[in-house]
Amino acid sequence: MIQSASLLESWTQENNQLASGCKDGQNEPNREHNLFRQRRWSSDFHKLLRKIQGIPPHLDRAQLELSVVYNTCVCFTAQSQFDEAELLLTQTAQRLLQIAGDDPGTSDPSVLWRTALKSVTGTALHRRVLSLLCLQWGVWLAKSRLTAVQDFQEEMSLLEAQSGAVWNDCRAETKEKISNIPILVLDPRRLVDLLKICTAIVQGAERLTEGWSVLSALQAASASPAPRALIAYTHLLSGSCLAHMNRPQMALQCYRKALETDPRCVCALYQSALIYSRLENSQAEIQALRILHSMLLLPSTTEPAMAAGRLLSPSLFLCSQSLSSLLSVPSALSVLHSLALKCVIHSRVSEGVECYLDLLAALQSEDQHGVHAVVSTLPKLPRLYLEAGAALLMARRPADCMALCDEVIGSTLDLLPEKVLLEDPVARRVAGSGEVTEEAENGLVRLLWTAAAYLLQGHCYSQLKDWKQAVTHYTRCINLLVKVHYKDTGFSLQIPCADKDPEQGVDLCVLQRLKGLSLAGRGISFAQIDRLREALRDLQLSRQAHPEGVSARRWYGEVLWRLDRKQEAAACWEQTWSNPIPSLSEALPVYAQELQSGPLLDSAELHQKLQELGPT
Amino acid sequence: MMEGRCAAESWAEFGLLGKSGTPLVKCGTGTDVFICTGGEEVYVFTAQEKTLRAVLQMPAAVRDVVVSHDEQLLFVACWSGVYCVNVQLLVPSFSHDAGSGPTELKISTECLVAVADRASSLLVVGSVLLTLCRTDASWSLTLYQIQRTSQSDPCDLLASFSLPLVSPKVQSDAESRCVLVCVYPGNLMPASSPPHPLRSHYPLQPLLFRRLFGAEAALSKSPVVLCGLPDGRLSFLPLRIPGSRLRILHSLEQSVVFVGASAVMETDAGCAGCLIALGKQGRAVLIRAGRAGLEGGGGTRFTLGCVPGPVECACMDQSRVYYSTGSDLLMVDLWDGSSGTAGRQGDKEDEASRSNPAAFLTPISLNVSGVVALHQPTYSSAGEVQLLSLSVRGRLQSIRLPVRTQEDSLSKRPSSQVGRSVGDILSAIGDICERASVLKTIIRSKNQILKQLNQVMNISFLLSNRSESDLKPVRCRGSVRWSRLLQRDSLNLTCVLENLSPFILERGWTLSVTVLPLSCPLEAGGEASSVNYSFPFSGLGPEESVEVSLPVATAGDASFPVTVTCSLLFSLWRFLGQEEATAPLDLQSACFSLPLNTLTVDWLDALRLSDPPAPARSSSSPADLLQGFISSRQLRCRGGGQASRPEEYSARVRVSSELLRDALGLAPGSPRVSLLEWLLSEGCGGVKMERKGIKTDGSSSVICGSAPDNATVKLTAEEVNVEEKTKPLVTVEVQVKSSSVAAVCGLHHAVMRRIQTLLQKAGSSRVVPTADLRLALQQAEEQRGQVWEASSVGVSSGQTPPLLLRVYQQLRDGPLLIL
Repeated sequence: MIQSASLLESWTQENNQLASGCKDGQNEPNREHNLFRQRRWSSDFHKLLRKIQGIPPHLDRAQLELSVVYNTCVCFTAQSQFDEAELLLTQTAQRLLQIAGDDPGTSDPSVLWRTALKSVTGTALHRRVLSLLCLQWGVWLAKSRLTAVQDFQEEMSLLEAQSGAVWNDCRAETKEKISNIPILVLDPRRLVDLLKICTAIVQGAERLTEGWSVLSALQAASASPAPRALIAYTHLLSGSCLAHMNRPQMALQCYRKALETDPRCVCALYQSALIYSRLENSQAEIQALRILHSMLLLPSTTEPAMAAGRLLSPSLFLCSQSLSSLLSVPSALSVLHSLALKCVIHSRVSEGVECYLDLLAALQSEDQHGVHAVVSTLPKLPRLYLEAGAALLMARRPADCMALCDEVIGSTLDLLPEKVLLEDPVARRVAGSGEVTEEAENGLVRLLWTAAAYLLQGHCYSQLKDWKQAVTHYTRCINLLVKVHYKDTGFSLQIPCADKDPEQGVDLCVLQRLKGLSLAGRGISFAQIDRLREALRDLQLSRQAHPEGVSARRWYGEVLWRLDRKQEAAACWEQTWSNPIPSLSEALPVYAQELQSGPLLDSAELHQKLQELGPT
Repeated sequence: MMEGRCAAESWAEFGLLGKSGTPLVKCGTGTDVFICTGGEEVYVFTAQEKTLRAVLQMPAAVRDVVVSHDEQLLFVACWSGVYCVNVQLLVPSFSHDAGSGPTELKISTECLVAVADRASSLLVVGSVLLTLCRTDASWSLTLYQIQRTSQSDPCDLLASFSLPLVSPKVQSDAESRCVLVCVYPGNLMPASSPPHPLRSHYPLQPLLFRRLFGAEAALSKSPVVLCGLPDGRLSFLPLRIPGSRLRILHSLEQSVVFVGASAVMETDAGCAGCLIALGKQGRAVLIRAGRAGLEGGGGTRFTLGCVPGPVECACMDQSRVYYSTGSDLLMVDLWDGSSGTAGRQGDKEDEASRSNPAAFLTPISLNVSGVVALHQPTYSSAGEVQLLSLSVRGRLQSIRLPVRTQEDSLSKRPSSQVGRSVGDILSAIGDICERASVLKTIIRSKNQILKQLNQVMNISFLLSNRSESDLKPVRCRGSVRWSRLLQRDSLNLTCVLENLSPFILERGWTLSVTVLPLSCPLEAGGEASSVNYSFPFSGLGPEESVEVSLPVATAGDASFPVTVTCSLLFSLWRFLGQEEATAPLDLQSACFSLPLNTLTVDWLDALRLSDPPAPARSSSSPADLLQGFISSRQLRCRGGGQASRPEEYSARVRVSSELLRDALGLAPGSPRVSLLEWLLSEGCGGVKMERKGIKTDGSSSVICGSAPDNATVKLTAEEVNVEEKTKPLVTVEVQVKSSSVAAVCGLHHAVMRRIQTLLQKAGSSRVVPTADLRLALQQAEEQRGQVWEASSVGVSSGQTPPLLLRVYQQLRDGPLLIL
């Protein structure tokens, strides 16, 4: 047996050398070099393991073998090589059973582990097997196989219960004879703690809709010792769970707690903003978005700094689909855009203008921070320009608005098609529903951009009371819009509406709106320079194109009044009392809505006129 | 034509070019030029003083070099990643001593700023470093933020964009070089750009820019990165647009070598009105903006042209492209002669002169051979064009082109050619008609070829989609036979290729059989060398088979077991024949191989049986004895004559009879005879020995024969009772005896191999007795000790071989019991 002991010893020494090298090397800050080093460690451990497993399994060497398997698997897991780790673990379980002489006759890992655990109960190997089971748990978690984790809930609790006592023994033993005990690269107790909270988080994210049971589990997890970031996640999930249960105020409390625990938990802030938006508390929402944006601009907020100095980072285990969708936060630019849009819609125009200008400056700048998100929720650039233009117009800065519109027109004008032929949307849906409209920047969209730019310029001139120029620009807009033709003659123009056809529906709706607005704008301008017949024609057409347009209708009445068709005018005005000018909504681009930038008719005056008419 | 010749002046020699990297000449800071010769060095050469200033020794072969816009940092792409070197390090701190020679710098992994496996091209745009790498399934363009503060820190990864490979065909890595350039709208170059124009950065006419990349890119004034890939695709990525991704602009259908931009008209004012891409085989595409409103929205015109290839490298100035075919340096004037007037004349004239591709790409030879890398041309004050080039022999040359005068360009079109007769045109029509009919027949034959290629695809799919263990629908069977020819015995293998698939193997297929002996006698150098046989065949229908025969070994040759690997080769050359394969196919893509099964011929297969000895005599016949004696004697004499008497070696294997009965399904009566029969008859490597039947007389279970090295061997099988712990166990013991060690080893190995398959068949869920195992392990440990001892002690005294032999004997004699 002397020979055997020497082999055992030399292998143990090799393991210990590797493990201590591994422990020393963890604190190196350079992450690129870390990558290479981790690769080397895992291949070294794996080589040693293959040597050990080259001979049949035996009880004498089992302790060493299990330790090396543990180390190798930790290294594999650290590099996200979960398949390799799992294969190794299964093989080890089988070898364990060979020692015991059991044959479960299956390769199902859960059965294997159960039998293996049973076979070593009471022996010195028990804690080693438990620590390997721990790694298996981690692999299941990383692969989001929650049912397997669930199945082992019992064993896991055993693990937790025993961890203290057993591993304390281990510590004592290590102190006794330091050279003969194989060293582990990571304390299993720390692994258990980490896995416990990660499991709670992932399970919570998967079963958010289940209500109180999940909530209590998350609350329990939040009390456990763990890194701040993970505790913050438990609070965040509790909040999301409460939000599902229709308790927005409690959810907000949880989000606040998450932020208090870990100030870098920006997703909590984002979720709060979403809740405020649901509660229609626009001021709070704007505030939340503003803070979120400034936090996103800080360096290193997006990168969770949890992994520093550790072999296994929690993010390895937190890769479930539903969790990552909960934790994802839009890029700083997207946040800035929604902030700007909210400000404009909720009548904080000057702030909105500032945000839009910041956004455009960020997009133009050389600094590439945050532009390269994989999926961008930002609208297309020309649309951003036009929204900013609309905001500037509302803020009564027509010159700036015109400059922006000039840029849009300059970049799109020579790309416009001679005419756009639209097919019947019903037929389109049947024929080409599979083909995604890959070329997003197609002719219709470009045409709408240019037309909207002309429309805004028209609004600018009418704000400046330069009616002739306004008429010119409205006319350009109309000339562009009439280039759109429908192929099917039987197709009625009433259909377009934002919710009917998601692809083209919005475009068609915008098209109709722009038509209505530009005709109304031209009509009003004509009315201002006393060309009442043209004004009447345009306003009539505008009402046909966009029946909901309120200012067009009022002005239609006004022009009728001036033409001395007072009864008709009165009837027209009567209709408009019932529906005031609608406030801005998010469903459509801002520039395709009524901006109240042009000359307004005082409704009191109209009332007076009506009363004058009444007696006569 | 060109007046005068160009002058090539050699500046420096760098030795022959390396194969692993990419030869490069790139402009650096000031008048510095960075040169790579395909190895691991980057040379810094000052053009002004014509001296080598510094040498950078990189850790791996260099693929690309690029300088940051502020000319402070040099990025070098190697196989393992991108390294960053501060340019200040390359400048000697005090005034350069004439005798001190170049600064030598060894770059270590500490300078690694980005880990990018197989990075092949680099580009710096503003403060962003771009790398283009080929991964297994895609091309990936990765963006890094250059660290301004300290250059040794790794760069932050900004984003990564990928484009899937068109086909996962294997391209050699040296070939997969790509082109990365950056274009800007208008003359809106980055603010931090140096005064002189950057290589790979081109300002583009705003109209062309808008038409190519859309309104969004134009509005954001975003620089756009163009990638020319080896598969011929030209893709683009606008850098500053959120959510943008790599999209295809055009496909050249041949490896893109060069992408550049040129000014078409004088009105362009410094911006290029035309993008140019050159392919490896000389295909060129010119991309220009068409007239507004002509074709509706997207008025970009792609004009295809062709120059005599192959294009090794290229560079261009305002209107001329210079490229090297390896044997000559050529110059193409893109807007020849009329470049000054094209803008002013009507568009009609312009269209006409451009629409004929052959008209504009006629190269002029500059008579410089062997150029593999070119540097952007520079101009002297007199209008002379100067090119820096690196030749295939590693010579840095400065090539001066003579001044082109105005008369040259005007004299190009003789007035006599202007009036073309109608007859010419008619004959041209006739030519075209003729060509059309030729093309029709070509199309027909191409269709035929496509049909046959479809069969090839089907077969490749069938064969490549299975793992080694499955039975493939096309496979080989083998049988061996000893034959005597010219007094020499040789072992012949007959391979039968069976086609069990529903497809026909038509022309172009070759059966390739590789015979690889496991080992070779020491005299032959100890290195086993394989022999390859190929058998072209044509037309193997379903359920048909082809039989080929090949020698495996000769008598006296003891290099068994022999692995016979069968594979099917398909060669596009053979398939297309001589006349079709005129298009330059590269060798690697034109030929592929599909592995079939692998056969093994081992000692048992190669055993020649002799008559069994009479049952009365326990030992072999006197003649055999004599023969054995002599041969072993010879062996011994050769070995140095250490032992005096012929030694008999033996090896034993024990198998439990129960297992044999279970596995072989034998009658319980005489397992030993049937075991021997099974050993000799059943080919477990897929090879069958053709024997006339094994003659074992009834009860006796002894087989005699001669091994391929002519040594006599005896195989016996007998039943032995073994006391395993408490219960008695009946086992069959197979013993191999011979005077030749090689024969014993080989046969033992062959027997073990067969029994292993037997065990696999029987299923392995058997309990292994621990006590026995411990004993065996202990023995093994002991023997390991002996081997250790032998290797440590015996080195000096020359005792190692006998000691090792003894250990081996012990290992083989202690029969391993197989349950």
